[in-house]
Amino acid sequence: MLQQYAGIGAMLIIAIVFPIIVIAISSIVRPKKAAKYKYETYECGLETQGETWVQFKTNYFMYALVFVAFDVETVFLYPWAVKFMSLGTFAFIEMFIFIAILVIGFWYAWKEGALEWN
Amino acid sequence: MIEFAMQKAWLIPFLPFLSFVLIGLITKRSEKLSAFISIACILTSFVLAILVAVGIFGAGEEFIEKSFEYSARWFSMPGLEISMGVKLDPVSSMMLFVVTLVASLVQIYSLGYMHGDPGFSRFFAYLSLFAASMLGLVIATNLLQMFVFWELVGLCSYLLIGYYYFKVSAREAAKKAFMTTRIGDFGMLLGILFLQIVFGTLNFTELAEIVPKYADYGITLGTLNLIAILLFIGPVGKSGQFPLHVWLPDAMEGPTPVSALIHAATMVVAGVYLVGRTLFLYKTATTAAEVVAYVGGFTAFFAATIALTQIEMKRILAYSTVSQLGYMIMALGVGSLTASMFQLFTHAFFKALMFLGAGSVLHAMHGKVNVWDFGGLRKKMPYTAWTFVIGGLAIAGIWPFAGFYSKDEILLEAFNTGHTGLFWLAVITAAMTAFYMWRMIFLTFFGEEKAENHPHESPFSMLLPLFVLAFLSVVGGWVALPEHGWGYYIRLGEHEAGHAPAWMIATATTAAVGGIALAAAMYWKKIISYEAVGKAAGPLYTLSFNKYFIDEFYLWINHTIVDGLGRLLYWVDIYVVDGIVNGLGFFTKEAGAVLRHTQTGRLQNYALILFAAVVVLVLYMYFKSPAAAMIVLGGGN
Amino acid sequence: MNIDYSLLTIEMLTAGLALGLLVLSLVVPGDQRKGFGYLTAAGLAIIFAISFAFNGVNKEIIGGMYLIDDFGNFFKQLALVAGVLVALASIPYVEKLESYRGEYYSLLVFATLGMVVMVGAGDLISLYLGLELMTITFFVLTAFKRGDSKSAEAGIKYVLLGAMSSAILLYGLSMLYGVAKTTVISELVSTIQAGQISPALILGLMFLVGGFGFKISAVPFHMWSPDVYEGAPTPVTSYLAVGSKAAAFAAFVRIFMGGMPQIQEIWIALFAGLSALSMIIGNLIAIPQTNIKRMLAFSGVAQAGYILTGMVAGTNAGIKGLAFYLMIYVFATIGAFTVAIGFSNATGSDEIKDMAGLSQRNPLMAAVMLVCLLSMAGIPPLAGFAGKLFLFSAIVAQGKLWLALVGLIMSMVSVYYYLSVAKSMYMGEAADPSPIEIPGSLKLVLIVSMVVTIFLGIYPAPLTGLAEAAASVFALK
Repeated sequence: MLQQYAGIGAMLIIAIVFPIIVIAISSIVRPKKAAKYKYETYECGLETQGETWVQFKTNYFMYALVFVAFDVETVFLYPWAVKFMSLGTFAFIEMFIFIAILVIGFWYAWKEGALEWN
Repeated sequence: MIEFAMQKAWLIPFLPFLSFVLIGLITKRSEKLSAFISIACILTSFVLAILVAVGIFGAGEEFIEKSFEYSARWFSMPGLEISMGVKLDPVSSMMLFVVTLVASLVQIYSLGYMHGDPGFSRFFAYLSLFAASMLGLVIATNLLQMFVFWELVGLCSYLLIGYYYFKVSAREAAKKAFMTTRIGDFGMLLGILFLQIVFGTLNFTELAEIVPKYADYGITLGTLNLIAILLFIGPVGKSGQFPLHVWLPDAMEGPTPVSALIHAATMVVAGVYLVGRTLFLYKTATTAAEVVAYVGGFTAFFAATIALTQIEMKRILAYSTVSQLGYMIMALGVGSLTASMFQLFTHAFFKALMFLGAGSVLHAMHGKVNVWDFGGLRKKMPYTAWTFVIGGLAIAGIWPFAGFYSKDEILLEAFNTGHTGLFWLAVITAAMTAFYMWRMIFLTFFGEEKAENHPHESPFSMLLPLFVLAFLSVVGGWVALPEHGWGYYIRLGEHEAGHAPAWMIATATTAAVGGIALAAAMYWKKIISYEAVGKAAGPLYTLSFNKYFIDEFYLWINHTIVDGLGRLLYWVDIYVVDGIVNGLGFFTKEAGAVLRHTQTGRLQNYALILFAAVVVLVLYMYFKSPAAAMIVLGGGN
Repeated sequence: MNIDYSLLTIEMLTAGLALGLLVLSLVVPGDQRKGFGYLTAAGLAIIFAISFAFNGVNKEIIGGMYLIDDFGNFFKQLALVAGVLVALASIPYVEKLESYRGEYYSLLVFATLGMVVMVGAGDLISLYLGLELMTITFFVLTAFKRGDSKSAEAGIKYVLLGAMSSAILLYGLSMLYGVAKTTVISELVSTIQAGQISPALILGLMFLVGGFGFKISAVPFHMWSPDVYEGAPTPVTSYLAVGSKAAAFAAFVRIFMGGMPQIQEIWIALFAGLSALSMIIGNLIAIPQTNIKRMLAFSGVAQAGYILTGMVAGTNAGIKGLAFYLMIYVFATIGAFTVAIGFSNATGSDEIKDMAGLSQRNPLMAAVMLVCLLSMAGIPPLAGFAGKLFLFSAIVAQGKLWLALVGLIMSMVSVYYYLSVAKSMYMGEAADPSPIEIPGSLKLVLIVSMVVTIFLGIYPAPLTGLAEAAASVFALK
């Protein structure tokens, strides 16, 4: 049984050692000059405005939820679309029901104002 | 129709039960509607019972040996399978007929008798439940089902005897009835448990087949006798046999229609019916059968001697019931289902007749109960009087009334099975029965009218049942006459053919006529002074009048032994048991109060405990399972 | 792969009902949303009636991922009948809500759908799917009283702890998959061999027990239940107490009895310990409770202990007892909670001491409470007695007399706190003796619970027949 774990063990060791080596090398190689911009928060290259510890509007989460629902939907839609011709009418009805259920959810989210920013 | 009635025979007890529920839940405010529902239900049951009887008796031989039986599983556990079912054979269909008939008549009678009573609806609800319980008992397929309904019958009798709950005596009588029969039930329950343990079934049909092979089940005949006697204790209590008869005379504290129901058709004959149903047991356990026979014979005689001197109408009738039940039990003891059920059948008619008649008299006399206060009532209450006379002739056993045939049958069976002693005891009892019954009749209906009484005849609703019952008391015995008559259908084993020899009929009739003549001489024509006779009898008279002081004896036992024991136990209870219980209770409560603090309400704690518990479980399982422990500790394989 | 969709009638109808309610609540203006409760109850009742057509159908679809069998059907019927009663009991509560009335019922039906899927699952993944549908819906329902701090607290607690338990459970499932290399439960029997029990398997099993133990609120995973029960809207609490618990028990039976009977000796001892702990601690802490909902929560913990004895038996008789007990527990619990709903609706209080003199203020409520509590205590001739009889006789038959004794003793302890409620209701003097009026829908729930509890105590045969059929799905001793 231990032999079976040996591979995992080797993997574990490599996983620990490799980053150490990389970080060690970079700390040796990189220039060590301090500058003002170096201590600022990194935000995609833009200048940061105000505090980073701020409250987010819940609307972000609403958007995110709706987005995830439709994102996942595509995962199902792609394979269906690829195989559409061989699946036949019944698969079409199935997908129709699936989308209908999603649309009801979307309709609900819309009506409840999840997509409005206020 | 007949087919339907037999398939749906469970409706017969169900309908009265339905009426109980309906009255209790919905219609109790409306007296008329309640009475209507109750009577309609019981009459429907009566019609169904007739259809069932036609089906059973019309089929000839088919159902005599093998009953018509079906059941539904009630509950089951490993080793115990209990069902609720319907068992129809000549005996049960006869009983269904008798019970529904008497219950219907009693309910019709109650319309008049209970008129204006504040608990009118409640009364009909109880009557319905009473009938339902008894009918359920009659169709039972097994002993446990019978026991359930048996207890329900007991409960109803408690409710009805104590119906006038504002009367102390009624409450006491109800309690007495309940407690006394409970003593019997305890013995009976033990018997039932033993049967279940030994034979693994309580179904009558199955038991009848396997009980004769008791040796295969690892018990001796002695054990079987013991079981049979234990089982018999139930009927001793319920059917008022010596020494548990004390409750029955007090049971007349209930309204008179209830007494009629209890004495004629429902409660007390349940015991007789149970012994009849399990008679196969007593055929095998012969010693127990002897016990049954002698208890019955003695009770018949003993109760008759008490009845000789009683002065209350209902009390005389009550002791006469005890005595007549003794006859039935005795007949079962000597092994004759035919004779005992025949006596049960005819007795139901004339005893219901006489109780309802007594009710009619008491109704007219506005609460007077002493027979010496009555007299000459036949002029003002002719219908009551003459129907009562028919009842008196029937119970005395005068040809051609119903009692003549059934009494002869019992005497014949006792004699044929070699119980000569019991035979002569029964003959003497018959003479005494005739005497005390006619003593009551002469004192009540004959002789001079008393000026202070203002009797009046009862309303038609009360008289109608009397007419029906009087008619049946005349013709009820004739069912034994045809060749394929009573004895052909209602029997266990061979048909007991043959009629009583002439000398036996002559002896019985002489005893009965002699009893009536003596009563007439003492209380009607006053040729013999009853006071002189009473004095001559001396202490015997006192004993009889005071019912052999049995009630007092029981009270004394209660006061000295039971109460003393009770006080002792009370002391133990207060100082020992309570101490332990209180201590335990205190400990439990404190433990709860301490444990309660684990519930802090803090989410972090909860999460911690959740994870910690999983970790503990994992660690525990690692070390518990040897294979797993080896991998952790020993480096694996 | 051809799927016989007619086998999924119950699931599809339930989903349709939930979506239909959602659409209705979109279409119908907010202030006109009356009768949703009756609509929900009627819809679930119709599905319940249809479910009887599936008695005796034993089929699997999608390669064993989903099972249509008597066991699943028994628990589906349980979820549906509980759903009907809860929907009716919710009506007066929902009428007090200002908004989201339709959504409440829609969520209720979604929770039912989750249970239905969960008990029918024949695969770890479909099981988890149903579980999450049910749990997430309950998260929302628990916090449904907007602006009520207790409800919000309960919601947060339930979300966080529920998520943790889900994580533990999912981790356990993945371990199980790692060892067995299959997620189909019926295949576990052949892939896990009795002789080779790896640490990973044990780790997986314990995580599973932890995850489901949370759902059935067995000690020591019960900490959430009193707080959540107290804070959640009472109808939701009652559904949480019966539905969620029953579904988790069904999952236990499916995985352990159906998938791993060959390694019984490992998990039986574990369940015996959990059962004894739950009975003892649940009953003891219930004693000092003053709030009826908290008291019922702890009594629910103890009930979980009683029901776990059915798992300890490890036999068909044990499953039969478990199924039987869960079904009667539905009626007793919903009956008791509905009294609490009616009472707090009228007086705004959940305290036991305020129930003093209830027998005069509303005899029906007092009678139902009494019958339900006594049934939970196992007093004959009520249904709880029959249930405990089946459970305890099943473990005694397996030689676990000690556990039956613990159960009996703790049942006696439980009589104490159940009767103290009864004492307060029947002998206490009401501070305000005015009669309490309750709406018709509550009355219906109360009468149904009481009648069923009494009827099944006297004549349990119809239910034992169903429970026996459910248990016979598993080929155990």
